[in-house]
Amino acid sequence: MSEDPAGSRRWRCDLGGDERWLSGAAGDDHFDRLPDALLLVIFNRIGDVKALGRCSLVSRRFHELVPLVDSVLVRVDCVIPDEPPSSSSSPSTPSSPTASVRARGVFSQIARIVLGGIVKPIQALGQILSPANSASGFPASSASLPSSSSSSSSPLPPGDVSHHSPSEVLRSFKELRHLRIELPAGELGMDDGVMLKWKADFGSTLGSCVILGASSASASPSSAGSDSASTAPSGDGGRTEPDECDDSGSIPESFYTNGGFKLRVVWTISSLIAAAARHYLLQPIIADHRMLESLDLTDADGQGVLTMDKCQLQELRVKPVSTSRDSHRTLMPELSMWLWYAPCIELPGGLVLNGATLVAIKPSEEGTGETVWNGAAGAAWVLDAFEEPYRTAVRMLLKRRTYSLEMNSF
Amino acid sequence: MAAAADSSGDGGTSSGEKTIVLVSSDNSARFEVREAAALLSQTVRRMIDEAGADASGDGITLPDVDAKTLAKVLEYCNKHAPASSSSSAAEAAPPAEGEEDLERFDREFVRVDMGTLYSLVTAASYLKIEGLLNLTCQTIADMIKGKTPEQIRKTLGITSEFTPEEEDEVRRENAWAF
Repeated sequence: MSEDPAGSRRWRCDLGGDERWLSGAAGDDHFDRLPDALLLVIFNRIGDVKALGRCSLVSRRFHELVPLVDSVLVRVDCVIPDEPPSSSSSPSTPSSPTASVRARGVFSQIARIVLGGIVKPIQALGQILSPANSASGFPASSASLPSSSSSSSSPLPPGDVSHHSPSEVLRSFKELRHLRIELPAGELGMDDGVMLKWKADFGSTLGSCVILGASSASASPSSAGSDSASTAPSGDGGRTEPDECDDSGSIPESFYTNGGFKLRVVWTISSLIAAAARHYLLQPIIADHRMLESLDLTDADGQGVLTMDKCQLQELRVKPVSTSRDSHRTLMPELSMWLWYAPCIELPGGLVLNGATLVAIKPSEEGTGETVWNGAAGAAWVLDAFEEPYRTAVRMLLKRRTYSLEMNSF
Repeated sequence: MAAAADSSGDGGTSSGEKTIVLVSSDNSARFEVREAAALLSQTVRRMIDEAGADASGDGITLPDVDAKTLAKVLEYCNKHAPASSSSSAAEAAPPAEGEEDLERFDREFVRVDMGTLYSLVTAASYLKIEGLLNLTCQTIADMIKGKTPEQIRKTLGITSEFTPEEEDEVRRENAWAF
């Protein structure tokens, strides 16, 4: 079994006659030698669901094996709203806080995620994400509003577009255990320079959420920065007055008057709503795939990550999800939040975050501060939320003074 | 960190490190390799454990791996073997070479014809060499990604037994993939 004659024959064929392969004897087919289990290992490494779909067409054997794949990545091409939003687009309601955050995908209205070849890419919808009244009741922040505040997407010519929902695409994958879905972009469009990242996990309702934000993130020219620079300008809310850095790690008084605090509340609420909307969208997929053990919904911008592990998926199947009255997202329970702030921190690698803020959130019913922070996991759920260099940012921020807040269900 | 030459190995390098002899399926080739390299294979590890101390007398025959493939597999193992050959540390110890060096090696290693690649993936699976299995499977997976079904067939050397009607139907089912 030294030299394989079929191998050399194959090599000659590749140069010329494809026809010989179409009528080739089965014995020539090296691929047949690979057992099904091995083929599945290979398919599980392909990941991309479209590539797997094409594999189904390759041969009968592939067609039978592809649905047995247990690990799939779905890259969503675009997101469209179910119906155009009505009055919720108006930013003038006095009682609801207005976001300085532009939502790119209208997640409070979205009921369908779309795959497929889109002729004209969907433009940013410019929808203001106006969070439902939270207990805070802050007046509208002074941050600027985007001019294209009405929803105006370029109309899709009906015939040119094929829409396929992830549910449809995943339908044949009955053995799916690990699913990752990647949205084309983060839902929250930021004003220039603002950095916002969130990570949330859900069972039937929110498990925990960690948010890291900064009013600006830039590369530092100097390497002399320490993690609590004393004279760095903060640039909060567009202001240029420097925040004094309190060495105790406390938030300076000006933070409350220059809109910095309100801004952070808005970031928090927007992130939670984005997470809740994603969670809501996943219901049909989770219902269809009983063997799912892990589910991640990320976006190409690296803005938000929603994860569900095996226990959480199980919980969701058993305990029904409460939806908010907006009806396109999951209801948030009462929340306990902890916040840390630093006017300026410099990360390894030279990234400088101004007005850096860390918010850690858990449902209030999980217990008081003592139980949450002193349990077996300690602060791990916060520390592990983000990859480097943000992980270091979290570590630095956790050393600052802790502020706790409560938020009603919304 | 040097290997303790504790057991009665049949051979040894000049440094006294234990070696193992592996024999191809047709008995045509015998390869003497460092124990650390051979133990990258869980199958070999198990065979040694089961056979006991006198296993290394004649060398270990691998019934499912031919000489040419075994030579190539051992090339991989030698490169990826940890510096220490103490069996418990072998899995945890990092390989003696640097990361980048290994990555370059791996990339070159899989630049082979399809027949050899299939033999490698089959051997890696049989021998249970995790790194090699991952490498070869990922290589084939990468060959599949981004190709049309026809291109996949051509690259992997597969014939489709679909009738035109069947093919149409499957294509409709999977319209979203195109």
